[in-house]
Amino acid sequence: MTADFVRLAASSDIAEGQSRGFDPRPARLDRSANNRSGGDSDVMFVVRHQGQLYGWLNSCPHIPGSPMAWRKDAYLNASGSHVCCHAHGALFEPDTGLCVQGPCQGGHLTAVPGLYEEAGEIRLRIRAAVAG
Amino acid sequence: MKIIGLDSLVFGVPDLEACRQYLRDYGLETVAEDDNSGCYEALDGTSVVLFRADNPSLPAAPTAGCMLRKTIFGVADTDTLSAIAEELGKDREVKVLDDGSIEALDDTGFMLGFQLTVRRPLDLAGEISNAPGAAVQRPINSLAVNNSKARIQPRTLSHIVYFVPDVAKAEAFYVERLGFRCTDRFIGVGPFLQPPGCLDHHTHFLIGAPAFMTGVEHFTFHFGGPTEVIQNGHNFIEKGYQAFWGPGRHVFGSNWFWYFNSPFACHVEMDADMDMFDLEWSAREAPISADASQAFLLGYRQRWFPGPGAPVNGDYEG
Ligand SMILES: [Fe+2]
Repeated sequence: MTADFVRLAASSDIAEGQSRGFDPRPARLDRSANNRSGGDSDVMFVVRHQGQLYGWLNSCPHIPGSPMAWRKDAYLNASGSHVCCHAHGALFEPDTGLCVQGPCQGGHLTAVPGLYEEAGEIRLRIRAAVAG
Repeated sequence: MKIIGLDSLVFGVPDLEACRQYLRDYGLETVAEDDNSGCYEALDGTSVVLFRADNPSLPAAPTAGCMLRKTIFGVADTDTLSAIAEELGKDREVKVLDDGSIEALDDTGFMLGFQLTVRRPLDLAGEISNAPGAAVQRPINSLAVNNSKARIQPRTLSHIVYFVPDVAKAEAFYVERLGFRCTDRFIGVGPFLQPPGCLDHHTHFLIGAPAFMTGVEHFTFHFGGPTEVIQNGHNFIEKGYQAFWGPGRHVFGSNWFWYFNSPFACHVEMDADMDMFDLEWSAREAPISADASQAFLLGYRQRWFPGPGAPVNGDYEG
């Protein structure tokens, strides 16, 4: 039996106002979760804001593909109020992905579909083709 | 005017602890620290100075998103300080501070300071390659690679790159008022600028950008050579930091580079082996492109060796 999701983390791994990066490709997930090095850039990150989880691609709209954390899992500004691209300090609303300050202001982060919580886990729904 | 180069960059930061740790891990030496500030030096005494963002003694930043509050130049003598004060005093306020340094705004809104340089002379060999036929080689029985060296330290504050809304105006200030000259230029982007008492290809690079972006693209210290840049950058990544671009070698300036994200609202670079030019040099111009920007580009990889236990994909995946 093949699950139609990948487990990213335990729900308790991402508390309110925290963020965490992942590479959900099956061959890379362990490495992403266990390797705390910033050299393996995460594909996506998850932030918990007002209780809700939001998943965004780790790619700043200013320079697509450019990674946003300043160190592993550090995707938020100092106060935790906004997602921050630590290339030039651009700030994004954590729930809408709208850039409110910085080079890409008015632009949006790209949402990662299929993120949900169940049984105390943060999961990402995957297509059967990928799962199989 | 004998403006030698950058002595210090002063930041007002919302996350002081993060910024302190970042600079220590980068290789700077902590020389002063209290609850509200810190000073982090390279080997020659040039530095990054941190304050909490809400410190009322800090000059204003040019825009809300910029954490840089002051760019401090080192000059060779008091005559230079007087000449700068006289020149800039023609059309703007020039403050003399208690320590004898002066400060004034540039034409973009960056606060500048000028002081008798704090730079201590360094007497250290650079990275020397044993190149067949070269007169200068490493001493016999000396080692090029030191894997056990606890810390690699930057040598001196090298350059800063500003986003400016009006490149011509910003450039004119440094060239016409302070005697800088353009050493090379990316057409449609901006000039590399060299101060009058300095031979480095650039201490400043200006990038034209919308006014709301006015701020810093990156700053960097010179390291002892490419091995130090790459080894220090590798270690930095393994401490969890996020690379942005590099390692590689630029075309204009020839400097080795490795850029990282940071909590300073700008990139922070490690660089080494920049070209030096005197007045004989004529500036080049080129449209910017990947090819014009670097001779080659590499990337971080985990250490690996071909043998038992190696992953089937050779760690080339991704
Ligand atoms: Fe640079």
